[in-house]
Amino acid sequence: MANTETCLKEALASIEGATGVALVDYTSGMALGTMGGSKSFDLNVAAAGNTDVIRAKMRTMEHLGLKGQIEDILITLSDQYHLIRLISGRGGNGLFLYLVLDAKRANLAMARHQLKRIEEDLEV
Amino acid sequence: MTVVDTPPPRLPVRGKPAATDGSWGGVSPMLTRLAAEHATGVLVRERGTLYLAEGRVAHAESPLTPGLDLLLTAHGTLEAEVWRDAVARADDRHGAAHLLLDGGHLTEGALELCHLGALYDAAYFALAPSSTPGRFRYGIAHRLGPVLPVPVADLERETLRRRELLRRIWPDARPDSAPLVRTYATAAPKLTPRQHTLLERIDGVRTAPDLARELGRQAFHTLVDVRRLAAAGLVAPRDAPGPADGGPTPTLTEQLAYTTDPHITLLKRLRDALEAL
Repeated sequence: MANTETCLKEALASIEGATGVALVDYTSGMALGTMGGSKSFDLNVAAAGNTDVIRAKMRTMEHLGLKGQIEDILITLSDQYHLIRLISGRGGNGLFLYLVLDAKRANLAMARHQLKRIEEDLEV
Repeated sequence: MTVVDTPPPRLPVRGKPAATDGSWGGVSPMLTRLAAEHATGVLVRERGTLYLAEGRVAHAESPLTPGLDLLLTAHGTLEAEVWRDAVARADDRHGAAHLLLDGGHLTEGALELCHLGALYDAAYFALAPSSTPGRFRYGIAHRLGPVLPVPVADLERETLRRRELLRRIWPDARPDSAPLVRTYATAAPKLTPRQHTLLERIDGVRTAPDLARELGRQAFHTLVDVRRLAAAGLVAPRDAPGPADGGPTPTLTEQLAYTTDPHITLLKRLRDALEAL
């Protein structure tokens, strides 16, 4: 059992290459908590924008008639990885964890695994 | 043949009161001032109440949004009995939140996130433009006790972002507060399960805040869904009173206002969207 801040701190400290992490409310696009980021990388803006990414993917899956649930989404940039992990909150609304990784330092398989563990710790 | 070379008269253009409102940064000068002086107390505004603790917003409540208690109990996270008991036992030293966590009824993460959700939700309505000035009473604290107080600047920024988000989805704000009716679109998009549940409950009587309370969902989230449904042509505000039984026969204009003909509803939606630009 941990609070939001501890979980986000742990994500940033324990995941190799992590430079920013946010816990985002999916419907409103609001970041409920952020850690890391920088002046040139506003996690609040990234949070709001990435809800549209998830929405687009969900819509496509519905059009295709796919029944599976999205576990995570990976976006690969030339120098960064962005990892989005969907969570269903107890308050009945969807949330997601958004993780920014430095591509040179990150171990993608490990990061996915650790993000999943952090989700379990969060117990939202 | 006569050649007319005078240009046609300019088309009438509506004033944009919303634009002037948006250019002004803050949402409540009084709240900004209270934050600057690190005030503690309660700010009562027309559509909601903000509890301040040392200049930060500790809680928010609005009659238009489901409270934290409803959000926690509606989905089985917490028993209603446990909540009532904690609120009854709360005193100045131990807020209800503290008692719930100590009793092991709730994890800290779940409480924080649910509380933040409810706070921003109620604040969105509390900070809506109002016709009467707000009142502030110093020194009053909420029975819940501190959870995660939010800086006023963050709250104002998020409230403005939310207004803009709704405007981008569908610029007409009437579905936010009017009773809703279902309309029938020719090429409706696929709906999410959440939107389906919402759509099924629309009956021409209940408003978006009523539906939010009934479903135990945040009111702003319900507005997002309602505006998306309005943009898809599946929902419309019932803004004019319906013809009463035995009353005079509705005029053509009144009949048109209730038409479900897809061509006419499409034209009306286009007109509304153009007018709202």
